[in-house]
Amino acid sequence: MKNSDLISALIYTGISLLAAGIFIVATLSAKYSNVDRFGGAAWVFILSMIILMPVVIPIVKKR
Amino acid sequence: MANEMKSLKTISLHISGMMCAACVAHNEEALSSLPGVTKAVVNLATGKARVEYDPDKVTLEDMEKAVSDVGYEVVLDNMQLKIGGMSCQACASNIETAVGSLPGVGKVVVNFAAGSAGIDYVPDITSVEEIRDTIHELGYDVIERVEGQEALDRERDTRQKEIRRQLINLIISGTLGIIVMIGMLQPYWIFPAFIPVWLNNKVVLFFLTTPIVFGPARQFFINSWNGLRHGVTDMNLLYATGIGAAYGIAIINTFWPDAGFGGKDATFYEAATLLTAFIILGRYLEAVTRGKTSEAIRRLMELQPRRACVIRDNQEVEIPAEDVQLDEIIVVRPGEALPVDGTVTEGYSSIDQSMITGESIPVEKGAGDEVIGGTINKTGAFKFRATRIGKDTALSQIIKLVEDAQTTKAPIQKIADKVAGRFILGVHILSLITFLFWFFIGFSLWFTPASRMMLTPYSLSLVGAFGFSLLVSVTVLVISCPCALGLATPSAIMAGTGKGAEYGILFKGADAMETTARLQAVIFDKTGTLTKGEPSLTDVVALDGNDKEVLHMAAVAEKNSEHPLGSAILSGARAKGIEVEDADDFEAIPGQGVSATLGGRSLLLGNRRLMLEQNIAMENLLPEAERLEYEGKTVMFLAINGTASGIAAVADTLKDTSVQAINELQRMGIEVIMITGDNRRTAEAIARQVGIDRVLSEVLPEDKAKEVGKLQAEGKIVAMVGDGINDAPALAQADAGIAIGSGTDVAKETGNVILVKDDLLDVVAGIQVAKATLRKIKENLVWAFGYNTLAIPFGMGVLYPFVAQLVSPELAALLMATSSLSVTLNTLRMRGYIPPVKRHRQPDLVSGFQSLPAG
Repeated sequence: MKNSDLISALIYTGISLLAAGIFIVATLSAKYSNVDRFGGAAWVFILSMIILMPVVIPIVKKR
Repeated sequence: MANEMKSLKTISLHISGMMCAACVAHNEEALSSLPGVTKAVVNLATGKARVEYDPDKVTLEDMEKAVSDVGYEVVLDNMQLKIGGMSCQACASNIETAVGSLPGVGKVVVNFAAGSAGIDYVPDITSVEEIRDTIHELGYDVIERVEGQEALDRERDTRQKEIRRQLINLIISGTLGIIVMIGMLQPYWIFPAFIPVWLNNKVVLFFLTTPIVFGPARQFFINSWNGLRHGVTDMNLLYATGIGAAYGIAIINTFWPDAGFGGKDATFYEAATLLTAFIILGRYLEAVTRGKTSEAIRRLMELQPRRACVIRDNQEVEIPAEDVQLDEIIVVRPGEALPVDGTVTEGYSSIDQSMITGESIPVEKGAGDEVIGGTINKTGAFKFRATRIGKDTALSQIIKLVEDAQTTKAPIQKIADKVAGRFILGVHILSLITFLFWFFIGFSLWFTPASRMMLTPYSLSLVGAFGFSLLVSVTVLVISCPCALGLATPSAIMAGTGKGAEYGILFKGADAMETTARLQAVIFDKTGTLTKGEPSLTDVVALDGNDKEVLHMAAVAEKNSEHPLGSAILSGARAKGIEVEDADDFEAIPGQGVSATLGGRSLLLGNRRLMLEQNIAMENLLPEAERLEYEGKTVMFLAINGTASGIAAVADTLKDTSVQAINELQRMGIEVIMITGDNRRTAEAIARQVGIDRVLSEVLPEDKAKEVGKLQAEGKIVAMVGDGINDAPALAQADAGIAIGSGTDVAKETGNVILVKDDLLDVVAGIQVAKATLRKIKENLVWAFGYNTLAIPFGMGVLYPFVAQLVSPELAALLMATSSLSVTLNTLRMRGYIPPVKRHRQPDLVSGFQSLPAG
């Protein structure tokens, strides 16, 4: 794996995990089931990855 | 810098696997990011990339890799050769190594046993001839190319392969999808009476759905993953997330029904299967209809005959058309197509040239006349000498021009592609926002256990906040797919350029077409464009009323003259059946006219100055002379035996269609301007005849471009119509340079719209075709954008608070496929388009171009 690929992966995975984490925290204030909480976090993670990968990879490659 | 420009090359690569405007953007980005590539333009409709590159810095392999890295494939031309003289496997290896090392050559497979070779190559880099020469140099014979017209075959093969692949996928996903759908409906309405219970068993449905997800739908997952790995998103990602999510929920509800996704009554197997089936249906229909938009170019290609009958060693030999050599004599019989361009050496025939020039009536050809490859010999047999072969023939040049035009992008398309490219990212963001909204706000506010999916039997009563929000989120992904947007412009441009080519109107690029459609002013060069460009006799006036005698004497006086005016008088006399004898004596008087004698009579023919210097009274003729001069004609006085006898007037006459063409343009609201080097009086006289109000006279050839520039400075979009060679600077300066009457050497023309025929009505037809194409583009964009604009809010669930129903993912897929289909069908309506100005001629044209036999 090239250095830029690794840096990109760290950035978009990190931010996506952060988004999923924030989602879980947000669900703690209300009565959500674990399926809702963790299923939702997984979906937020997947969509965040999809959104961030095409944004982060070219930026890191350019630098 | 100049050297750098000189070393740049351009190639056209066929790319397979592109489905949407995002694919276009990815390939363009991938190719453009290569060091050494200066420009890359990808066209979705043709499936081609036009790459400008420096061969010292980047190779074909680099380009292939860049394209494959983003999930697509470069498809090279394939050539099959029969090779003679190979004695062992080593010979085959030698050929493979030598040919394989040529630039632009991909895979080379030489079969020693069969004596054949299959070579993948890019013709723009290495020609067939270079490959054949390389094999020759190694000491082997290239006996024959097994198949000609490889471009046509390859294009057709690739398309048919894609159609076949999608058809197989459609049959699998459609059949299983319908079975799954039937199984899902089993508990409802009257179906329990017909459908066995076991078909509704969720495990059975799981086993029916899984082959679809891992079979036909596999392409979406692989392509989207390939794209994501390289930081790009495309339509496949929308499908993959949609299908994956529906399938995932179905599995969870089957094997873990209490997980909170709606339970066993909400297994969305049919969503996953029908979603796949509808997407593939859309792709299949697109593949079929996309082939039809390129029909015009294919018909042009099919005009090239595969075989030619040449004379070698005094015998007629039939050979592949591409093996015809320069100066070779070719024999053509009635009904046959001409294989190359040439000059008739023997025989006489009428030839149907409609497919190249758009001329509806067959043209008579005899010895010395030029003939064009691809045209059809109608009546007699004849022989001709090949003067242009291979890529130099008129037909090849036209095909190249049309193909090049189809790989360019109209400005309107660049915007659409940019929007579509960013759209997918936007859709995912929208999907995430929708999910968060329904999860945290919408669900608790509006959810009711009576919730249903539109046009499905499902109740969503047991679904939780996550399952509900996920469904809406997935529907947004599927319903927003901008496939139609990607096809809207290129498919219309392809149809438009092809339609133009049918009428001998060649647009050099999509931008030329768009500019032509938006024209506000058209400048016509006078001489040779509006007029025939050569003077002809218009009037004869005799003082004694004997016009024939005046014309006879004038013609005798001019018979030995080399002046164009003299030729016009001589031709005029002959046209009237007057026999013109030789003068006994002849003298040209420079700048004034001529003097001659015939049978003792002295003849003087010339301008006023000649008459004044010879003291000839011409007062009686002056009123008529002035009237004719006011009409822009050149007047010559005739004196017989020292007495003024009459006048012969000569003028450059209008072409047959000039007046109609100008009228049509004015009716279309386009300002028409005439530009000429002539004096104001002559120019205005011609302008009056043709109906033009604005005249730019006494303009030197080198100043014409400046005059065009002045009009552009007025804020107008200007076209210049003129001779492609003499008016080149003005054509280049104009927004649209329309080169008229270029004949068959279209590649040398300066203009960005080339009219093969010398017919001004083609200017009107060209503008009408361009306007129709732009109209089609706009309609397509309205369809595509309109669909997305309307569909997305429904997908996001705006109706849910009022009707408690959600758009199901499979309904979203059906809507999405319908939008793509509506765009392609709308474009196909261009096939029947006839420019209004050509409508009365259509029956002849149809018989020429459209009914030609294939191959």
